[in-house]
Amino acid sequence: MKFLPYLLKHLRRNWIRTLSTVLAMALCIFLFCTVQSVLAAVNSMLDATSANRLVTRHAVSLVFDLPLAYGARIQSVPGVKQVAISSWFGGSLPAKKEGKDQAAAEAGADSSTTDWSNFFPNMAVEAEPFLAMYPEYDIPEDQYRAFLQEQRGALIGRKLASKFGWKPGDRFHLESFIPDYRKSDGPFEFVVVGIFDAKEGYPSTDTNVMYFNFKYLYEGMGRRVNAGTFMVEIDDPEQAAVVGKAIDALFENSDAQTRTETEKAFAAGFISMAGNLALLLNGIGLAVAFTILLVTANTMSMAVRERRTEIAVLKTLGFSGGQVMGLVVAEALLLGLLGGAIGVGGSRAIMWALTSTPGLKDMLAGIGLSSLTLKPAVAALGLAVSLLLGFAAGFVPALGAYRSRITDMLRTV
Amino acid sequence: MAMVDVRDVRKVYRRGSEELPVLNGLSLKVNEGDFVALMGPSGSGKTTLLNLIAGIDRPTSGDVVVAGTNVARLSESDLASFRSHNVGFIFQFYNLIPVLSATENVELPLLLTNLSKAERRERAATALKVVGLADRATHYPRQLSGGQEQRVAIARAIVTDPKVLVADEPTGDLDSRSATEILDLIETLNREFKKTIVMVTHDPRAAHKAHTQYHLDKGVLTN
Repeated sequence: MKFLPYLLKHLRRNWIRTLSTVLAMALCIFLFCTVQSVLAAVNSMLDATSANRLVTRHAVSLVFDLPLAYGARIQSVPGVKQVAISSWFGGSLPAKKEGKDQAAAEAGADSSTTDWSNFFPNMAVEAEPFLAMYPEYDIPEDQYRAFLQEQRGALIGRKLASKFGWKPGDRFHLESFIPDYRKSDGPFEFVVVGIFDAKEGYPSTDTNVMYFNFKYLYEGMGRRVNAGTFMVEIDDPEQAAVVGKAIDALFENSDAQTRTETEKAFAAGFISMAGNLALLLNGIGLAVAFTILLVTANTMSMAVRERRTEIAVLKTLGFSGGQVMGLVVAEALLLGLLGGAIGVGGSRAIMWALTSTPGLKDMLAGIGLSSLTLKPAVAALGLAVSLLLGFAAGFVPALGAYRSRITDMLRTV
Repeated sequence: MAMVDVRDVRKVYRRGSEELPVLNGLSLKVNEGDFVALMGPSGSGKTTLLNLIAGIDRPTSGDVVVAGTNVARLSESDLASFRSHNVGFIFQFYNLIPVLSATENVELPLLLTNLSKAERRERAATALKVVGLADRATHYPRQLSGGQEQRVAIARAIVTDPKVLVADEPTGDLDSRSATEILDLIETLNREFKKTIVMVTHDPRAAHKAHTQYHLDKGVLTN
């Protein structure tokens, strides 16, 4: 500790270079922590998926839907237990306009009065088979029956219900951003008939979601809508690949070819929409970390080169090679730690902003990332990475200082 | 008693396959409390001899015994420890750390001891007082004149109370008046504090302050 003031004074010596290095390190750790937190949130979402559930969607893109008749044909595939339509409705609450009657605003809602900041996941499902596939949902029996009976009924997850203060009997309207699901006579009206929780033993289950009857959507749109996806429950998770192939083979020569994958793969694909998100994000993180390593190593090399005479003086005064090496490494570690602390702080701040800002937090919840947060383990890992980068950057110059001969360095002008 | 005993020392530098002999079987004794000046033309081996005595370089052959320790046979870490306890080095260009104040520069060698911060500060203040710079304790090197910087460097050299002071052209970068002040200070350290001093110089005036003058030429003593 008695060397700390000495180290700090050296860091202040060329403060612009120190600041830029610390900020570069901070950016690296900020990206690292943020990327890891996003991946953790994605993994948390993926953990909530089941191995015996498959999703069949249009082979080209989720944007295209599938004929309703596919459901019965999928059901006929050996190994399939049950099939349920599940369509992403993409609905949002109409905006509350100041100075206008809320009911009128809701009734007359169009695209210009829709409040997209209140976006949350809402799905039109074939209620009975769909809910039978989700043992993780804890739905009171009477509310489950009410959901089956009430066409406009909405089954709301606990988290979502808490957010809007909904309770059974409440009414609200939803307006979809998908043109095929927008009625000319205004938004869809829903009645809260049930609120479900996650059963014990399913900690990753997200209850920030709403389900309603596909039949309501179908009838409401004049029976002109198809299925967004089919949820398929299979008998044996080991056979997921075989069953998925068999389903896709059924529609190989049709206009709407299908792509069937496990719910986990589907969720991952939904999040990334392209390629391997983890690989992409980790790749970016690694590239940034490597660049910062070079920047910091360059800084430390310059610092040591500039101080050759001073290092010689320290050794002349009695500092051993190991002690001088320790001082250089400690300086690099200090740079790393400062950058790491700022990076972790920045990442924490952005997480807080993302999950607290109206609109942003709803967007994240809408894609299943409501659990986005900087976990202590990720923050600690970020600091460890910053120290590792500092050490790696400082080691070679420090070794040079360790090995250098006093007389050689004193001759340097 | 000899504080410095250099026995038949050879020092050869190698540049590739070429050998450059700098000291050729040189022997020298400096008694405790003595003040010795080493003179000679450039390249005669004065600074090399001084570096060997200070323990910052090793002879190719021969022995260099300083304060009873043969520094030629010490390991690197033991040599560092030897320097911190026994030798104070005064450079021609002062070589103060620019980001540290006068007190902090003087305190630097004491960081290797187990002294508390207060004790270190007290000793640094005493050393600065000895060199007459008590009122410049908080000044940084850039705020000091050349003579004052060299005084701080001398304070740094004496703060650990070493047995031997080695000075490599301590007045080489100073004007005449500052040089006189520094020489007087070095003389005082020898006379009043009984420090054994070995000084390399080109300046005959500086050499006259010493008790004994040695002349080197081509790696051997000529007197």
